[in-house]
Amino acid sequence: MKFGAGAGFRITVTVFGLLFLGLFFLYPVLRVFSASFLDSSGAQLTLHNYAKVLSSAFYLDSMVNSLWIGVLATVATTLVAAPMAFALARLPLAGKTALMALSILPLVLPSFVGAYALLLLFGRAGIVTSGLHALGIPFGSIYGTPGIVLVYVLTLYPFVLLPALAGFKAVDVSVEEASQNLGASRWRSLRTVTVPIVMPAILSGALLVFIDTLENFGVPFVLAEDMPILAVEAYKLFVGETDTNPGSAGVLGVLLVASTAAVVMIQRRYLGRRRFATGARRSPPLIPLSRGFRALATAYCWTLVLASLVPFFAVIVISFLEFRGPVLHWHVSLDNYVELFERSLRPLQNTLFLSTLAALGAALLGVPIGYVVTRARTRITALLDIVATMPFAVAGTVLGIGMIITFNSGWLVLTGGWFILVLAYVVRKVPFSVRTSSAILHQIDPSLEEASINLGVSPAMTFLRLTVPLMLGGIVGGMVLTWVSAASELSSTVLLYSGQWQTLTVVMFQALESTGAGLAAATASLLIFFTVVPIALIYRLLRRYEMSLL
Amino acid sequence: MTAVAIEGVSRAFGAVQAVAAISLDIRDGEFFTLLGPSGCGKTTLLRMIAGFCELDCGVIRFGDKRIDTLAAHRRNTGMVFQNYAIFPNLNVGANVAYGLRARKVATARIAERVRSALKLVHLEDYEARWPHQLSGGQLQRVAIARALVIEPEVLLLDEPLSNLDAQLRVEMRGEIRQLQQSLGITAIYVTHDQEEALAISDRIAVMRAGRLEQVGTPDSIYRNSATPFVAQFMGITNLLEGKVLGHEGAHLVVEAGATRFRIESVAIAPGEAITFSLRPEALRVLGAGEAPPPDWGVIEAQVARAEFLGTLTRIEAHLPDATMLRIALLDQTIETPAAGQTLSLCYDPRRVSVPERS
Amino acid sequence: MNGRFRTLAHIGLACVTLALSGIAQAQQKLVIYTSNEATLNELTSSAFSKETGIQVSIVSAGSGTIIKRIQAEKDNPQGDIIWGVSRSLLQTNKAYFAPYKSQHVNAIAAEFRDPDNLWIGTNLHLLVILQNTKMLPVSESPKSWSDLLNTKYKGKIAFTDPRNSGSAYSNVTMLVDLWGGGDAGWQKVKALFGNMRILNRSSLVFQGVGKGEYPLGVSLEYAGYLWANNGAPVKTIYPSDGTLALMEGIAIIKGGPNNESARKYVDWVNRKDVREMILKATFRRPARADLDLSKLPGGMPSLSSLKLAPYDEAAWTAKRKETLERIKDLIQETR
Repeated sequence: MKFGAGAGFRITVTVFGLLFLGLFFLYPVLRVFSASFLDSSGAQLTLHNYAKVLSSAFYLDSMVNSLWIGVLATVATTLVAAPMAFALARLPLAGKTALMALSILPLVLPSFVGAYALLLLFGRAGIVTSGLHALGIPFGSIYGTPGIVLVYVLTLYPFVLLPALAGFKAVDVSVEEASQNLGASRWRSLRTVTVPIVMPAILSGALLVFIDTLENFGVPFVLAEDMPILAVEAYKLFVGETDTNPGSAGVLGVLLVASTAAVVMIQRRYLGRRRFATGARRSPPLIPLSRGFRALATAYCWTLVLASLVPFFAVIVISFLEFRGPVLHWHVSLDNYVELFERSLRPLQNTLFLSTLAALGAALLGVPIGYVVTRARTRITALLDIVATMPFAVAGTVLGIGMIITFNSGWLVLTGGWFILVLAYVVRKVPFSVRTSSAILHQIDPSLEEASINLGVSPAMTFLRLTVPLMLGGIVGGMVLTWVSAASELSSTVLLYSGQWQTLTVVMFQALESTGAGLAAATASLLIFFTVVPIALIYRLLRRYEMSLL
Repeated sequence: MTAVAIEGVSRAFGAVQAVAAISLDIRDGEFFTLLGPSGCGKTTLLRMIAGFCELDCGVIRFGDKRIDTLAAHRRNTGMVFQNYAIFPNLNVGANVAYGLRARKVATARIAERVRSALKLVHLEDYEARWPHQLSGGQLQRVAIARALVIEPEVLLLDEPLSNLDAQLRVEMRGEIRQLQQSLGITAIYVTHDQEEALAISDRIAVMRAGRLEQVGTPDSIYRNSATPFVAQFMGITNLLEGKVLGHEGAHLVVEAGATRFRIESVAIAPGEAITFSLRPEALRVLGAGEAPPPDWGVIEAQVARAEFLGTLTRIEAHLPDATMLRIALLDQTIETPAAGQTLSLCYDPRRVSVPERS
Repeated sequence: MNGRFRTLAHIGLACVTLALSGIAQAQQKLVIYTSNEATLNELTSSAFSKETGIQVSIVSAGSGTIIKRIQAEKDNPQGDIIWGVSRSLLQTNKAYFAPYKSQHVNAIAAEFRDPDNLWIGTNLHLLVILQNTKMLPVSESPKSWSDLLNTKYKGKIAFTDPRNSGSAYSNVTMLVDLWGGGDAGWQKVKALFGNMRILNRSSLVFQGVGKGEYPLGVSLEYAGYLWANNGAPVKTIYPSDGTLALMEGIAIIKGGPNNESARKYVDWVNRKDVREMILKATFRRPARADLDLSKLPGGMPSLSSLKLAPYDEAAWTAKRKETLERIKDLIQETR
């Protein structure tokens, strides 16, 4: 196995990464999935569970539905977000900083809260639906495939936008000039030169979208109504009240993970045959636009961002309305906040503490892994790449159960404190860190690192002193993504938190499940506030240093 | 004292043998060029010396010290990259100081050495500039200063001029050569440009498909190309195939293109096939009634096309059996020949080289 | 660049410091695992803490999640009490509980407690039909389960997936028996499914009816009273052909860290005044029979005034697996 220059550093990272993920991810998850290979007594190895699930029309339906929604949502998200990334990177727009900061927000709101808010607006009895009906405009409802896809597009587009934006900013403008010089129109050179260069970044985002749609159950749980969805069925089989079936549940879990692994491998093959480093020395200049086009581009971006913020406005508005028990009354009231602040603020502290540690941990683990899997293309790093992306496809529920089974007793006991939550978040969010670092690395010329090594700096120090600063935008971007999504993580938290380590998301979930929609909205608003402030600060900071986030 | 010894070095990438059992001895203070078409393995060999590419087998030494087992950052080579590889996040001064910092040189000494290195490449006032403010040629100078400031045992240059425009390229190669000579440093230079190689090198190794074709001084390689490949790669030539007819005094008489050529005697028996190279510029046009210098060969060819280039006139002509013959004439006080005209040409038989069949 | 790192580090540090501040405690504790709603948890834990000084931590999630967690933690239990899950779940997971004879065993009917005192009932859920009277006028109300088979209700009835809800499972199996049992019963259940939208979670059903997403919903008694009493146009219908009283109970987790506090809580939660407080706030019908419901908010009918359907819980629990397969097939066939 040839690792090339700096073999020691690369091997260290690979071995450590595989050990860490093996112990805290693969092993726990395999313990859960192993049930799928055992008969009901748990003694005999069998593929019976697979035969049973794969021959069930019901589960095949759910698979088809999930994949179809996943493909639709991924294509739609990419088509919507890539042009916006281009516009933000290359066009003169009004309110660019605001656009960029606001475009991360969709990741802040836990998807079940977003779905709740959208139902309030667009459900059968929703405010908007009723309003449209009153005006005589026919509008069905948000339930079903179109609604789910719409919600995914509006909540997941930052996954594509952020890496694509970084990609468009890193394109060496001389490549475009060369193309135009060869007689290509601006549009043609964009299509044939710029977009292919940025494609790896766009695809790495699209990959995250696809995997997230497969794994997410919060949205279809509410919006699919009675259409079977793989992730929802897996959830019911794992922790449903009546139909828990570890065997079949394991099968569905394995299918989800297998789909992810397949997609990662396809992407790796695609990227492996291409090298896109362009060595841009400065961000490409803005493309001058006529007033009309400029207005059009500005309107496009703002429409997308504002549409994605509709659930936010809804949640914030709801938080100031009066609830009697579970029933919404249209009076302005601060009662929800009074109730919120009468309770302990411990969940807020927990959320900030846990997601900050998770973001740091995921970066410490994920950035070196992203580096190694991008720079050294060997079989073992391909394995590392897949293993480090898989956590994204493993439902939080599965990871949670696996971690409890594994670390509640035996030689390593971790349950019952904050550490296991951080560990679960790090494992679950490390794909963000790996993907964003890898995407940005595809655009950093490897000869820079060779130059540094040649000048006498060891590969490990070169990584720290040269590569990390060059990747800083991407790393910070990945950390913001991790931070934000850890703060809204529900499925693994519910299984792993112990009494005092309740997070805001758990509070929201419990309130929404019972009679406290108002409290849930107020809590969500609090989370939004506490997420927006650090994001805005980081943006200001990066702007001051003339850097772009991602 | 850094001679570089390369002993039986090989490297395969999958089924492709990038470098195949190459041995070379590069002398201390020598400007040595690895020349060849793209994909010939020259960059791979350079990267092996730098430590960016592992050896399948073989040994590389700097002087008596074996270095192929050392990590890349411990080899003390200074490398100049094709795309400059200037760190975009550091200014010029910090770029040059980078290697000194890694060597824990005292801060005061660093400033001093950075300044003198920048002076060496005529960028005294650029210390505080940022890379994106510099032109390609200036970036290349920074790259050279950065590689030289660490006082490397060997300077490695990987096609350093290929991204520059033609005029700057000529200027820079002169500067590089001058710098190398004044510092007395061993330099290994990779290029695919034969003119550059000829202009700059003490010795050249011509590579093809992972193997050495010929190692020698620029003029021996140009004039006495060891193989047909080298003969052709080192510039335009007439590579003619014929049959040995017999001896005529000190010369061998060869028939090629239905024409008799006189060449220097080589050990090929009459009746056997022969390939020989005759450079276009070795041919001279004989005026009407003009006698060729003694012992020179004389041939006739019919002009197919002529190109007047100022200092030079390039002619494509046909030998009687239509074999093409290229002729390059320094501006002579005769008219540019017209197509169809038959020229009488003479050449010094010593200018004919007979490369080995490879 | 150093400056940039430093400032980023400061932001991170600020977050950590803010989070760490105010984390300090040392007190008697109790960890309750519950599927009860937040309102109820908040109410009882603060009242219990105030009375006893014991600090209560709530771990709350769906019944299935909670049970899964207790099973996974069996070698090193983290919780003391499980509360708010159905009798059948308590019954099937007895192995994880420690016996305790509550002070109130005599106030609670034998059918609502374990003979070995491994668990005890706290409250009863009656299966009911909820109606949003704004969407569907009272004149159109269904009176019985059989009325729901009427095609005029097609697509208007919300129901919870029995594969994710114990009460929905009991509801379906009760109806199979009610409608003649065996294939005849299933045939009618299939027709009922054809009229229904089968949602993933029970809260979606009563919230849906309360907010007007669905005119009708098959749900639990307390939800109807809770929404109606807070001003929503929700009517609670006790089907005339009979219904079930599903018990929810409490148990002490074997090997939990705070056994003493757990016992105190089990006694406390079934005290008459506590039950009254809970009913007032959340309309949970107590398991103990000695409260006069007609004098309490909501004015729920007494159990004896309602027609209860016969139901063999043990038998249906025993054949749960096949039954759920059948339900899954029926759902698929009727979509």
